[in-house]
Amino acid sequence: MMEREILALGVNHRRAPVEVRERVAMNDDVEEALRRLVLMPRIEESAIISTCNRVEVLATSTDVDGAIEDLVDFLASNERITREELTAHLSVFRGREAVRHVFRLASSLDSMVVGEPQILGQLKDAYTNAVVAGSASTILHRCFHKSFNVAKRVRSETGIASKAVSVSSAAVELTGKIFDHLEDKTAMLIGAGNMGELAARHLLARGIHTLIVTNRTHERAVELAAELRGEAVPFAELQSHLPRADVVIGSTAAEDYVLTAPMVQTALQRRKYRSMFLADMSVPRNFDPAINEIENVYLYDVDDLSTVAEINRDDRAREAGKAEAIVDEEVDSFCRWMDGLDAVPTIVALRNKAEAVRQAELAKSLSASALRNLGAAEREALDAMTSAIVNKLLHTPITQLKQQGRREAVYFVAALRQLFEIEEPDER
Amino acid sequence: MSSFFLATALALYLLTTATFVAHVITGHDSLRRSALALLAGGFAMNATAIAARVAVFGYEAFAPFEEGLSFIACLTVGLYLLIARRTNFTVVGALISPIAFLFCLSAYAFESGGAPLPGRVQTIWLPAHVAPALAGYAIFTVAFCLSITYLLQERQLKAKRRSDLFRRLPSLETLDTLNYRFVTWGFALFTVGLLTGSFLARETWGELWSWEPVQVWSVITWLLYGGLLQARSVGWRGHRAATLTIVGFAILVASFLSVNLVFPGKHGGNFG
Repeated sequence: MMEREILALGVNHRRAPVEVRERVAMNDDVEEALRRLVLMPRIEESAIISTCNRVEVLATSTDVDGAIEDLVDFLASNERITREELTAHLSVFRGREAVRHVFRLASSLDSMVVGEPQILGQLKDAYTNAVVAGSASTILHRCFHKSFNVAKRVRSETGIASKAVSVSSAAVELTGKIFDHLEDKTAMLIGAGNMGELAARHLLARGIHTLIVTNRTHERAVELAAELRGEAVPFAELQSHLPRADVVIGSTAAEDYVLTAPMVQTALQRRKYRSMFLADMSVPRNFDPAINEIENVYLYDVDDLSTVAEINRDDRAREAGKAEAIVDEEVDSFCRWMDGLDAVPTIVALRNKAEAVRQAELAKSLSASALRNLGAAEREALDAMTSAIVNKLLHTPITQLKQQGRREAVYFVAALRQLFEIEEPDER
Repeated sequence: MSSFFLATALALYLLTTATFVAHVITGHDSLRRSALALLAGGFAMNATAIAARVAVFGYEAFAPFEEGLSFIACLTVGLYLLIARRTNFTVVGALISPIAFLFCLSAYAFESGGAPLPGRVQTIWLPAHVAPALAGYAIFTVAFCLSITYLLQERQLKAKRRSDLFRRLPSLETLDTLNYRFVTWGFALFTVGLLTGSFLARETWGELWSWEPVQVWSVITWLLYGGLLQARSVGWRGHRAATLTIVGFAILVASFLSVNLVFPGKHGGNFG
């Protein structure tokens, strides 16, 4: 009999380009696919994780090599991809590594952007589908639930998801150091460059109240304003609208300064010295560096912003290290639990528990008044009798457990552990 | 009994300071929670010390400045605990707790036997003067710490430094808004303390105004904080508001020390 193992197999963004992934994708027919998996003799439990970055099957089997063959056939069965092509881009994780893979997925350590929380929801969907299809059981139930716990731990114990890693998001993150909230703030976007637009989108996502867009070519400003649901103002009126702006983003192709220190100084007076944050996303720079000298005004150029983003990336890498350590810890604990699903340790634990109960009850009865005066022979007889009762009672379940095939045994073991409250190995 | 509680409060405030500093350096959230728990403990001990003292000597036990200090410390910490639930307020806590420690230390070192006040001082005007004045001082102390934090955050932003400290500072707007609210309330209470103080002066010294050092300094401080609030409407906010709040507090401390230690005047000693 072979060891039961968890297996994770499929294509993901690490090893398979999108051209390959899209041919394996099974967006609509996951339920149908799960039903087919349930019927495969070498696959015990299964679940399908299908996102734009991956199509993976999570399964348990006692014949892992056979199961891998079956699953490759399964993934190639839509005939949009050949077996050879698939094998070339396939990622296979077995046993401990498979558990680690699921936990890392849930914690967003394997995501395109590390720390992006989207994957957790997708994993929950995968689990729900498997439950509905009846393809998940004891091991995958626990594996999924544990992975959600790991994700929670990683989120609360590390700063993995809390830092901006791009220049435009760094700019928006900095506004949080100056302003309490953005819901009553106004931003002004000068120019129609990509980075500026991206930053504006980030600001909108954070709930900025008003967005003013201006550009040398007014038509472009109108276009962009319509797209971002902002307000387009003519470039010539820049100065008169500047006092309204709490956040100013520069992203033009201009060769000289669009904003000078006196312009900002004038605007600042008109807005009664309420703080302003200026992010200059252009090269060459659009905002005069001297602006940063003005009281209550904070100017960051592209280099400053990318330093922020870089430090955040370093932080994220450091935080990812912490997260990996948490994952390792949880993988250990999960694997200990799986080992415990072997019949033998459970039988031993059951015997020990029964024996402990017998001993305790015997000692209690023998010290009680009615039996206190028993002689050695009687005590021995009593001991033998209680032993016999315990052994007879345990005989049938233990024989049953030993006679079951591996496939069913695991469920008996899990049930037995729960019924008799046998401590799980990972909680020791 | 009172000094035992005060000593415990002192020890707790010292521990709190260390824990807050450790949190600011490492960022471990458990340290933040421990610091808040320790501070709450210090606050409770401080309040108990005050209650024990009032039980023995009556409320006028707090008229002399060294006793007033432990009262100010207690109020300051209490006010901080009210705002400490906000995230990133540990730097403010790291400033508040050593100040509370110093205040209590002075109170502990100069603890008097509770010499009775002259009977003529003991009118209704005494608590009406002392309570708002001390509360005003406490509020200005918190405002001072908020302003220091503001300048720290501002320096980090201007210099584009991204130290660990930077990450654990509140936003400028949060600090400025809170500072404004605190100064407003502090100013209101200080004004009440000043007015009731004048009535008290008339009852005890026979005149509303006697060019007595505390009176002079208090009016200067009052003008400064009042000016600060007024100037806000013409744009003295942010950096300038923070700087002025710090200057105001410095004058407050200087007057407190000089009046009570160097030129006692009629406020110090036995109010004669």
